[in-house]
Amino acid sequence: MTSDDSKGKLFVRHVTKQFDIENPEQGLAIKDVNFTVQPNEFLTIVGRSGCGKSTMLNIIAGLLNPTEGEVLIHGKRVTKPGLDRGMVFQTASLFPWLRAIENIEFGPRNIGMPKDERRSLAMDLIKLVGLEGFENKYPRELSGGMQQRVAIARAMAMDPEILLMDEPFGSLDQLTREDMQRELLRIWETRKKTVIFVTHSILEAIYLSDRILVFCPHPGTVRKEFIIDLPRPRQKSSTEYMGYYEEIYANIS
Amino acid sequence: MDATITGLEESKKGFQLSDRWIQIITTVAIIGLWELLSRTGLIKPVHLPSPTRVLSTFIYITREGYPQDITIFKHIKATVWRIIQGYLLATATAIPLGLLIGSHFLLERAANPVITFARSIATISLLPLAIAWFGVGELSSILLIMYGAFWAILTNTIQGVKQVDVNFINVGRMFGATRRHIFFRVVLPSTLPRIFSGMKIGLGVSFMVIIAAEMVGTVKGLGALIQQSRLYYRTDITIVGMIFIGIFGLIISIGLDRLERVMLPWAIGLEEVKR
Repeated sequence: MTSDDSKGKLFVRHVTKQFDIENPEQGLAIKDVNFTVQPNEFLTIVGRSGCGKSTMLNIIAGLLNPTEGEVLIHGKRVTKPGLDRGMVFQTASLFPWLRAIENIEFGPRNIGMPKDERRSLAMDLIKLVGLEGFENKYPRELSGGMQQRVAIARAMAMDPEILLMDEPFGSLDQLTREDMQRELLRIWETRKKTVIFVTHSILEAIYLSDRILVFCPHPGTVRKEFIIDLPRPRQKSSTEYMGYYEEIYANIS
Repeated sequence: MDATITGLEESKKGFQLSDRWIQIITTVAIIGLWELLSRTGLIKPVHLPSPTRVLSTFIYITREGYPQDITIFKHIKATVWRIIQGYLLATATAIPLGLLIGSHFLLERAANPVITFARSIATISLLPLAIAWFGVGELSSILLIMYGAFWAILTNTIQGVKQVDVNFINVGRMFGATRRHIFFRVVLPSTLPRIFSGMKIGLGVSFMVIIAAEMVGTVKGLGALIQQSRLYYRTDITIVGMIFIGIFGLIISIGLDRLERVMLPWAIGLEEVKR
């Protein structure tokens, strides 16, 4: 079912996910979720732990299949992972046996890109994420923030249309986290992509996003949508910012 | 409080020359004590011969050989060669098999009872069976060594595959990896440290069963040497045999460690972090 209108957009339609565990009630992670994502939009799904936001992201990624409903990209149904979607995981998940640059080259290597090409592509990305000089380090030699930068570079190496990010800064300390938020926006503004970001931090969501979807648990559904109509970079202390915070916080339970 | 802080700092400095001296002095002291107790008759030679006696026996075996003409070097060569063959056979079969079984849920379920049963059987108890099937001689002893090492390598490989971080698999899936790619580029490197663990344990088992394995009637070999010495209550020869088994075990073990460091430079730090 294609229409010109669907170009570049991602549609989530009536998505339900039931996990097959002992307690069926607890296994119902998300129910009848509907939303649309615009091209090059920065969309964040925010909610408490256990509200199903990661499940939703994994379904969009194609790592999980919905029990009911569908996710459509370019009018086509998502059934498995694809090169149009890249992902940054909560725990960087870099391969410890590969150096930083080799981790970035992982995707291009799988799709058969020649060695020189992928090396120069990877080096460009190393520079983009500000890790020049660290390309030959192993992940264990890098700090958490640096590992996440490599993870972002790795996801960008496939030049996906859509970047999926599952609480990528959750395991970082507050200061590093704020650095990474600025970094992410800088990278995003350099290479525009659609970003679907998942976090439990409202402040983070407001700082980064064009639009926020609040998810509520048991079962997970979209409670409310917020459009953040502030110019970037955003001042976390401004009244508008705090205003959004209050509103979203009120909706999050 | 000052003492504890100093102690912490000292332990961080790592292995110092003074540590080496302590090791040497302690070893010499123990040997000296042993010698003393033997000389005064407190330890009977048939139970534990003195170090000097062991040394002279070693020299004798090196020159004259025991039994006649079989020098210590011939014994060492025979044993080491058997262990290498048996161990390599075990590695060559257990690793691929382990990778296969670990990757397939149903296979693993089916194989589990068989593996648990088989590895509980002490290798030495298979001796009569081995002789019956393969006769007396080299093949039997090599196969027994192989049997001993096989199970440790197999079980560790299977566990290694099963315990591959599911996030890594997801990364593979998200980044265009085919099933083959996922196996060779994700699962395999991920499992290597565990495979090495299994190999080290398997090596240890090989050395433990060598004495039993050489009971198949071989004349040459450190285990055979120990068998021979048993018959004549030559405890001194037994000890020489044991020392050499220990030395070669140590050498090959260090070799494996070095190999691991070369092949898995990324895993060293990982172990420390996990601890």
